Amino acid sequence: MSAGKGATVQDPPVKPVKGRGPTFVTRFLESRHLGWAGLAIGLLAPFVIATPYAMDVMTSAVVFVMLAVGLNIVVGYCGLLDLGYAAFFAVGAYTSGVLSTELKIPLLATVPAVIVVTVLAGVIIGGPTLRLRSDYLAIVTLGFGEIIRITANNLSITGGPSGIYGIPGLFGDATSSQVVFYYAVLLIVAAAVLLAARLGRSRIGRAWRFVREDEDAAEAMGINTYKVKLAAYIAGAIWGGLAGVLFAAQLSAISPASFTFLQSALVLMAVVLGGMGSTPGVVLGAIVISLLPEVLRGLADYRFFAFGVLLIIVMIARPQGLWPHRSRER
Amino acid sequence: MMRKAALGVALAATALTASACGQGVLGGDSKKDKGPILLGMDIPLSGSSADIGPYMKNGAQMAIDEINAKGGVIGRKLQLRAEDDACDPKTAVAAANKLVAANVAVSVGGYCSGATLPTLPVFDRRKIPMIIPAANSTELVDQKLKHVFFVNGTGDQQAVAAMTWMTKSGAKRVALLHDNTSYSKDIAVRTAAELDKPGGPDKATLDAVNPGESDYSANVANLLRSKPDFVYWTGYYQEGGLILRQLRQAGYKGKFMVADGSVDAKLVKIAGGTAAEGAYATMTQTPDTIQGAENWIAGYKQKFGADPGPYSTQSYDAVRVAAEAIRKAGSTDGDKLVTALEGINGLQLFSGPLKFTDRHTLTSGGFVILVVKNGKFVLQDALK
Repeated sequence: MSAGKGATVQDPPVKPVKGRGPTFVTRFLESRHLGWAGLAIGLLAPFVIATPYAMDVMTSAVVFVMLAVGLNIVVGYCGLLDLGYAAFFAVGAYTSGVLSTELKIPLLATVPAVIVVTVLAGVIIGGPTLRLRSDYLAIVTLGFGEIIRITANNLSITGGPSGIYGIPGLFGDATSSQVVFYYAVLLIVAAAVLLAARLGRSRIGRAWRFVREDEDAAEAMGINTYKVKLAAYIAGAIWGGLAGVLFAAQLSAISPASFTFLQSALVLMAVVLGGMGSTPGVVLGAIVISLLPEVLRGLADYRFFAFGVLLIIVMIARPQGLWPHRSRER
Repeated sequence: MMRKAALGVALAATALTASACGQGVLGGDSKKDKGPILLGMDIPLSGSSADIGPYMKNGAQMAIDEINAKGGVIGRKLQLRAEDDACDPKTAVAAANKLVAANVAVSVGGYCSGATLPTLPVFDRRKIPMIIPAANSTELVDQKLKHVFFVNGTGDQQAVAAMTWMTKSGAKRVALLHDNTSYSKDIAVRTAAELDKPGGPDKATLDAVNPGESDYSANVANLLRSKPDFVYWTGYYQEGGLILRQLRQAGYKGKFMVADGSVDAKLVKIAGGTAAEGAYATMTQTPDTIQGAENWIAGYKQKFGADPGPYSTQSYDAVRVAAEAIRKAGSTDGDKLVTALEGINGLQLFSGPLKFTDRHTLTSGGFVILVVKNGKFVLQDALK
């Protein structure tokens, strides 16, 4: 209370909080040019190091970014906890792998078929499950993830446990250079990241966020939540499926061992670590999650121990993610 | 706009300075022709098969030390470079690329068939010969890659060995059980094909389990419904031990046999001493079963303070084969090495004198039958 002369000037009952204007750091982090800077770093990286190992690890990281950005649409934008995302990754990889080896066509030519099949998979899996909420959705998606993997393990067209091998490269030439492949993957993924970010700011992106914040309120406002959620699921499926195509091209062999629950969990970890719903955050998270085990290779047996400890430290220090999303409507 | 341009210039400058080190795309090819010859090894050092990695690494290291003590090959020493493939295809490809980046002359690794499969093109494309000591799924052989060689018996050879023993031991109805991994299914399906041929024992059932579970009683009950008097498990030892124990608990009195992936002391431990007693195994020769290998085992123990395990001898042999090929070729050039490898005739290995078939496999798998006696695998029949 003020102890001024008399009671002529009264303090306002609540001190007006002076909003903290955007600091330099936040303005820097929100800058749109940053995406282009990131792409530039990706484009220039092979000039720094282009050993086969480095190119392989970088290509894996970029493919992983695609996966994480896809899952971000489902988990980050729309708030649907999906524990079986590797299912779509597998569907994409297997569709392109089977088609390209059976019909002897380059992988790029299988992309339309992959999109059709992943959309179908999204509808088949999402149709019944998206009527569920929260925990129940997580459990059912977990189940579907395992169903897809075990199906692939037992079908003969998917090559059973040894999978499909001898998959041609993106352009049909298996011997194309790793650097060319890296650039192709980088440009495709950059376009996908941009598209996902724009999708998040679009009309349907706002609907997704509304559903995430309060599903009942969204429904009351006239949003068909079921359709909107299914759209998010299908978008996530397409991104995952296309990442699968890139994965098949990179490894030239795919087997059920690559699509375990651990894979789903790692992608989810990338999304949560980076900051749910934030495109730059998720890209950063994916890069960290995919590069960290390789960086820690020197620790041999303690590799995953160190990986786990580092992740726990990050989540304690930054529970909102490395680079969280700041809500703002323009 | 200015800031962006400045950023771009700065980035480009950093990149170009760094690429002067010679590792970027603009850098030259820096193949070293001096210093030690590197032998690469992709093996599981973490994950479900992490136990096997050290056995293989030590076996290979032992051969390298022996060769180096005699002055190396073509005037250069050998050096081992082991990378963890975690038995996972993606990690294995990264590890293989790491070995390629390190300029290895020959790859002497490969245990899990599923993880080894995608690494084949990585090495083959760069003309680096692979001498695979353990991974033996027939799918690896069927790729018919020019630079890939096998010093372990293959799945079909193991199936033939299993069939021979089943007939010899008087089995009537054989139940086959695999764990749906590449290696395991390969042997089971090939054995089933052998059983389906007229004559000899019949196939009772061919079934699969999901690896990594802690209870197989449902699979066991299903298996016993087909009334087998001989069960052949072709997966790895964790599940094998459990299945054996549960079979015995369910009152199964017939014979039990495992394939080489299950030959490990842990199988006996998991199954429990009495349950495992009398279980057979199809196995390529191990140090324990090779006559005259006592000195080798003693040397291994002294060096690493542990007993050799499965695939120690094959890894040891893979290195010796690689050294022999380099010696014959007089260089580390991939094409010359392949010619030299194809020309090797009569190099004495644990599995017998070496001569590669035109499929780059051993002429005979060298499979023998082991039996668990007093809690240890000992030789039952050399199948000769």
